[in-house]
Amino acid sequence: MSEEEKLIREPGACVPWEEKRKEFPEICGDEELVKRTWEDVDALGYMYIWQCLLSF
Amino acid sequence: MPAEMERLYAERLKRYTAAMRNEKPDKIPIRPFVAEFTAVYAGLTCQEVTQDYQKAFDAARKCAADFDWDAVVGNMVYGWSGLTQAIGLKYYAVPGVDLPVDTGFQYVEPPEDQAWMQPDEYDQLIEDPTGFLFNVWLPRVSDDVSPMGEPTSMRNNLSFLKGGMAMLDYFGGFGTQAAALRDESGTVSAISGILKAPFDIIADKLRGYKGLVMDLFRQPEKVQAACEALAPHLQHVAASGADPDGNVPIGLWMHRGCSPFVSPAQFERFYWPTLKQIILGLWKDGHQVLFYAEGDWDTHLDYLAELPERSIVFHVDRGDIFEAHKKLGEKFCLSGGIPNDLLAYGTPDEVRDRCKKVIDGVAGNGGYIMDAAAIMQDDTKAESLKAMTDFTREYGVY
Repeated sequence: MSEEEKLIREPGACVPWEEKRKEFPEICGDEELVKRTWEDVDALGYMYIWQCLLSF
Repeated sequence: MPAEMERLYAERLKRYTAAMRNEKPDKIPIRPFVAEFTAVYAGLTCQEVTQDYQKAFDAARKCAADFDWDAVVGNMVYGWSGLTQAIGLKYYAVPGVDLPVDTGFQYVEPPEDQAWMQPDEYDQLIEDPTGFLFNVWLPRVSDDVSPMGEPTSMRNNLSFLKGGMAMLDYFGGFGTQAAALRDESGTVSAISGILKAPFDIIADKLRGYKGLVMDLFRQPEKVQAACEALAPHLQHVAASGADPDGNVPIGLWMHRGCSPFVSPAQFERFYWPTLKQIILGLWKDGHQVLFYAEGDWDTHLDYLAELPERSIVFHVDRGDIFEAHKKLGEKFCLSGGIPNDLLAYGTPDEVRDRCKKVIDGVAGNGGYIMDAAAIMQDDTKAESLKAMTDFTREYGVY
């Protein structure tokens, strides 16, 4: 199993911000904004797979 | 919205929510869960309402406009095949493709040895439920999604693109539909959000019923751990879709925990603990849940009585609604209790007699919503549903 697959994925997340953050060497602007945007869109991926399981 | 519809909507919402709080409204609310019935009533086939969700929405609105109902679901023919085909889901049998055009869509459970999750894969699910769904489950249930480590394909890529776009389109359509129901007929959208018990998810979509039953004996600790691993995710998804105004409940669709699918002891050990935990969490956050209890749940009513007052609405299918009222009526609103076979094969007088018996038996102090026992498909007769509706309107006045 790869490192990516060993992530702890809390409800609402597919790729947690803490993991994504490692891909940015430096964020010169508002990191909280980058984080929030990442998590909001990541949550759509989460909703996709769980809705597939639950609703369809 | 026309003033008359605005007034009607407010009146119906007040009636519906009062009953769900186990209070006495002005009249008994009527909230029929009509699925393929809407197609027959609107002159459409099951194929049309399964494959063209706008037609399904139109048919639901036609019924809402023609019958004096307080609340409906925007589309109870929920499994839109445009979406399921975009994802490539294998477990649907679609009218007009796999089934006759006038047969409702079906779920197909694979043979036990081809279950979507194999018996030795519990640890993977428990360790990372979301990762398991993406990496193991989805490639198995989809004709198009490539298994991890195997070459990808255009169909693989398209399944995510089309599936995601279709899901947004469909869910967005429910918002539009709710507004149209309100504007056109003053009808309330009955539920918001979806929940299933962890045990049901394992039975329905992972191990299959037969596989899960074997697991209850061969590896019960794994089943318990899997239920515990799934619970926070299912609670999260339920809360994400809940009514932000807190008026209407989250729909909980209950399948495999009833008699005789599991014994009372199995229910107590496997089904109930994690479902109870989820309900308590949702209620703490202000979300009521509608227990759509398909089948006979009479042997489990004492467990349901453990839940906080008003935290759920309990819908009765094949159980004894009078027994449910005895055990739960002080704490929770009930709905249902009008058998579907009566609505399909009975006379209007027989339907009225049953409605009277149920109203007399359980609705005296409020806390009851009129509905059929189970989701109404293409065998429900319009004259029966009209008898149920009209009688309740005449007799169900407080």
